[in-house]
Amino acid sequence: MPQAIPLPSDLSPATVANTASLLRIIALSLISGAAIASRLFAVINFESIIHEFDPWFNYRATRVLASKGFYEFWNWFDPTAWYPLGRVVGGTVYPGLMATSGVIYYGLRALNLPVDIRNICVLLAPGFSALTAWATYMFTKEMKDESAGLLAAAFIGIVPGYISRSVAGSYDNEAIAIFLLMFTFFCWIKALKLGSALFGTVAAVFYFYMVAAWGGYVFITNMIPLHALVLILMGRFTSRLYVAYSSWYVIGTLASMQVPFVGFQPVSTSEHMAALGVFGLLQIVAFTQLVRSHVSSKQFQDILFVALVSAGVLGVAAFVGLTYKGTIAPWTGRFYSLWDTGYAKKYIPIIASVSEHQPTAWPSFFMDLQFLIFLFPAGVIMCFHQLRDEHVFVIIYAVMASYFAGVMVRLMLTLTPVVCVAAAVAFSSLLDTYLDAHEPEPEASATDSAASVDTGKKPKKEKAATGSALADLVAAATPTKKGDAPKFKGVYGTDTRFMIVMNAIAMLSFFVFHCTWATANAYSSPSVVLASQNQDGSQHIIDDFREAYYWLRQNTPETAVVMSWWDYGYQIAGMADRPTLVDNNTWNNTHIATVGKAMSSSEEVAYPILRKHDVDYVLVIFGGLLGYSGDDINKFLWMVRIAQGVWPEEIQEPNYFTPQGEYRVDSMASNAMKNSLMYKMSYYRFSELFGGGQAVDRVRNQQLPKEGPTLDVLDEAYTTENWIVRIYQVRKEDLLGRDLKSANAFAKGKKRKRSKPASRRRALSAAAST
Amino acid sequence: MLLPRRVPLLSFILLVVGANADSFENTAIVRTVDLGGSVVQVATTFAVKALEANARVYTIALGDAEMQKTSWLEARVKGQATPLAVTDHPGSTDNGVHLVDIILPKPLALNATLNIILDAIQTHATFPWPERASQQEPQSLKYGSDLFVLSPYKTLVQRTKIKSPTPNIHGFSTPEKMEDFTFEEPVTKSGATITYGPYNNIVPSANAAFVKKYQRPVQVHFEYDYPVGEVSKLLRTAEISHWGANLNIQDEIWLRNAGPELKGHFSRLEHQTQAFYNRAASHVIPGLTLHLPAGIRNTYYYDLVGNVSTSRLRTAPSVPKDSPNKQYSVLELKPRYPIMGGWNYSFTLGWDAPLADSASWDKSTGKYIVEIPVLTPFPATVVNDAELKIILPEGATDVDFATPFVAHSTSFSTHTTYLDTTGRPAITLRFTDLTEKHALPLYVSYKVPLSAHLKKPIAVAVAFFSVFVFGLAARRIDLRIHQK
Repeated sequence: MPQAIPLPSDLSPATVANTASLLRIIALSLISGAAIASRLFAVINFESIIHEFDPWFNYRATRVLASKGFYEFWNWFDPTAWYPLGRVVGGTVYPGLMATSGVIYYGLRALNLPVDIRNICVLLAPGFSALTAWATYMFTKEMKDESAGLLAAAFIGIVPGYISRSVAGSYDNEAIAIFLLMFTFFCWIKALKLGSALFGTVAAVFYFYMVAAWGGYVFITNMIPLHALVLILMGRFTSRLYVAYSSWYVIGTLASMQVPFVGFQPVSTSEHMAALGVFGLLQIVAFTQLVRSHVSSKQFQDILFVALVSAGVLGVAAFVGLTYKGTIAPWTGRFYSLWDTGYAKKYIPIIASVSEHQPTAWPSFFMDLQFLIFLFPAGVIMCFHQLRDEHVFVIIYAVMASYFAGVMVRLMLTLTPVVCVAAAVAFSSLLDTYLDAHEPEPEASATDSAASVDTGKKPKKEKAATGSALADLVAAATPTKKGDAPKFKGVYGTDTRFMIVMNAIAMLSFFVFHCTWATANAYSSPSVVLASQNQDGSQHIIDDFREAYYWLRQNTPETAVVMSWWDYGYQIAGMADRPTLVDNNTWNNTHIATVGKAMSSSEEVAYPILRKHDVDYVLVIFGGLLGYSGDDINKFLWMVRIAQGVWPEEIQEPNYFTPQGEYRVDSMASNAMKNSLMYKMSYYRFSELFGGGQAVDRVRNQQLPKEGPTLDVLDEAYTTENWIVRIYQVRKEDLLGRDLKSANAFAKGKKRKRSKPASRRRALSAAAST
Repeated sequence: MLLPRRVPLLSFILLVVGANADSFENTAIVRTVDLGGSVVQVATTFAVKALEANARVYTIALGDAEMQKTSWLEARVKGQATPLAVTDHPGSTDNGVHLVDIILPKPLALNATLNIILDAIQTHATFPWPERASQQEPQSLKYGSDLFVLSPYKTLVQRTKIKSPTPNIHGFSTPEKMEDFTFEEPVTKSGATITYGPYNNIVPSANAAFVKKYQRPVQVHFEYDYPVGEVSKLLRTAEISHWGANLNIQDEIWLRNAGPELKGHFSRLEHQTQAFYNRAASHVIPGLTLHLPAGIRNTYYYDLVGNVSTSRLRTAPSVPKDSPNKQYSVLELKPRYPIMGGWNYSFTLGWDAPLADSASWDKSTGKYIVEIPVLTPFPATVVNDAELKIILPEGATDVDFATPFVAHSTSFSTHTTYLDTTGRPAITLRFTDLTEKHALPLYVSYKVPLSAHLKKPIAVAVAFFSVFVFGLAARRIDLRIHQK
């Protein structure tokens, strides 16, 4: 057989196999190293610190677990959260993440390696990304071969779509969940292929781990049944499917119900019904198969008809009945917003106010996946070529994940693995074709080649006209296989090979550059610490958040209740260690609305709310001096909206706009705006800072009036260096029983206007004297 | 009774001599008090005349309150640098007077004279008055002391000078009924100095009768322009590692502004305005400048919420052990927020230093000797409670140590850390009321046999080896029920 490039022929197959496996091990370790290293930008640029908001809660919970042990954590009631309600943390949390860190922590301590729990938490996500790369390798290996697996592992290792959720310090459930997702899927595929109860059980165990770790486990709960259902509908029911699915479902469901936060949901909520239904269906189908092998064909058809109709009617009736009776919970808001993107905005402002629940913008697909997004469809189409059971899985996964990624930015994360797998399959096919040194057979080449290329094209065109476009694409995209390919098809010479391979390598290197750039610039900021540049180009750290939180921690009583908007709840609990009214758990809309109301109403209205909730300090974020746009005035409308949802007659959103419908904070601002506690706290004494000059809010680019707002019920307690965090202390009731406004006026030496009580007293004394 | 608290421990000759009131006479006693915030320096000069031949032990007396405040005591002959041996007076009385013996360098002949200078450092001797001050107000402190310097000998003339750092003295107490000692004004003020005395012909005063009759407290109320810092707790861990040739020192520090408490609230606007016009409030601690050893590396400074990004460090290159020129690495440490009166700030500061800079090996005994500083000097700041934990290398034996001054308590424990199998011996020492003066080295000596050095690599090798053996075995075990 002719070859384009000379290849050594005297190698024994064993040598080739051994070398290949050694190279694979080396490649996988390098990929793991790259995956971990590229996530360390945040640690190197800043420090080993927990990022953002939710990770602070996870970190705090992990510390409880590490210091007090697992059972204490399980029973942990946190009286400082949601003051005065408190929170049963053990029962309202996915403990997988904390348990993982705890196990690592205790394991290392048992080996006399006392590693700080914070460092374990910070580095957990990078560590698990290496495992994800390995799991993706195993998964893709089942789809095509080892080389595709290595490509997929490399892709998932550095793709920004996954890095965005797993940089060092982003200690969130997703950090371990993607590994669990991929590994569960791998075990499922393996179980399905082998009909192995063992792998089904392993899949169930990892499914349980996933349930314990992330709310996104529902994705697996629906993906696997969907795959099984599609296989049944395709007429591919086998005993392997039956064994794999049954072992996964039974063990996985029972195990998942052990997580207190999940409890009986797997048998009562609608999200889990598909899995149960498919499980039932499989039993019926299997039973039918059994019956069919025992009775005659005519009888079987009758039985089948009666059984199907009655089972269908019974099933639907039971489902409707249970839903009606309330045993099966109604659909949740977040679930609706998956199907109707406008739903949340209309009905649940608290869900809509979270930026990661917004629909995905187009550019972010390219930002997060770069050239993989082009290869992704090609890879999916290649799955049609062989369409084995596992390829069906990838196709379903691709369709579902694409839809969900379009609905919510956050779900880009679930799309990323399948994109990597599909792109790796496509890319590896391309390389297979062009790196294959074998040239087509010589007898087909010399005379026929020119003609055959023409004829090769013609039938295709005809096919395209008559057949489906998809089939054409599949044909075009599939690699030439040695045995069944027509002899005149193939790649000649080294130049074409060289061009294509160079092009492919260029694409890969651009991908690496893009990933590095995106990771370094977009995804590695802790957001607790802000970075800016000094005039000489060196890094300047703006550390106002920690300044304020640490001040609270060191210089206020331990029981001082801090009120802030819910975004900062976890951070205050984690860094300042003080009770908070609301936090990022957002389970109690009314409580959040209460805070929203206090923030958006006038002092007179807000003061009783503050006093009733024992609030000692109020914390606001103000970016006007520095131009930090994520501040509370910019979030203010959400507070108003959420408060309006509960007290529509007291708080109305339009009142906070000017009559022209503008959102202003300057002298044109509406009265409701100017009198709101939030406005006053943000701009209190701000204009004095400009010493007679014109005060400018650098976020909103508006000029503020010279006379700043005054506060009667609050005292400024602390303001950070760049004024980003401002803390106010709530005044106690006046000791002489005056209202705080007049007490304040008295203290400032203003004369009280003569009013009726004074004259009445005079009248009384006059009456007494007579 | 034991040694007076925190008296420098020096080698001393035990002498059984009572405080004989006839052996000496004080021709003059001059006490000079340099007022400060948390640290007040008192220098007392005794002009001594021997009344009997071969007098060798001179006894001084401290009142109860003075004893409480004194955290450091050092005596020397005027004009000489070497300190004299100081011991507790045997059979010291308990009636409000504490006696301390000073052993003179050589016995004095009859009628010979000598000037003895007693340097003392007092801590917690001042308190803020008024107790609260707002951001714009100045800071004032009150210092209290006893009027007379007690002595078991007759004193011809005695005076006390109290020097304030600013001439702004709000007030001072005037002792009354001083006719026994002087006919002039008992107290005079000139500039920033207040002088009590001279008082003449004071009988031996180190007895309860005199204290009851004549001794009285005096107070000075003065303005103080520097912050009053106080470290309420200091935990220092020094870890010696022979494998890493490293001495790691880590301080956990609880800093407090012991000046007047902040009245009202902190206003950033006010603070920034003051900084802009360069007239920052005197009682704010904006930061600390610390002198760390030369040649340190990997310095870290963090608190409970992470790295504090606002510090600057200038390291000096490492200097050999016996080099005469002292060099320091300078750390400008800025807390997250300015520490106002009554505010707290806790943080952790640590660094690695090359072990060779502070360790040596004694050939004759086969012991290592390591020098460890008891604390990093905090300028004009008192450390209320200090705990020093010295962690020796794993397997160290024959542990011995010498402290520059007496520790309150000493305990031994085992500390287990990276790759240890049996753990490392650790010494924990406790001290109270330390000042800059106490920043002295402490010496630890120990032996480390070769087998202890090899413990770590052997443990790691065994661990890896067992993993490989397990892997080797596990690959060869077939658990399948149906053999294919």
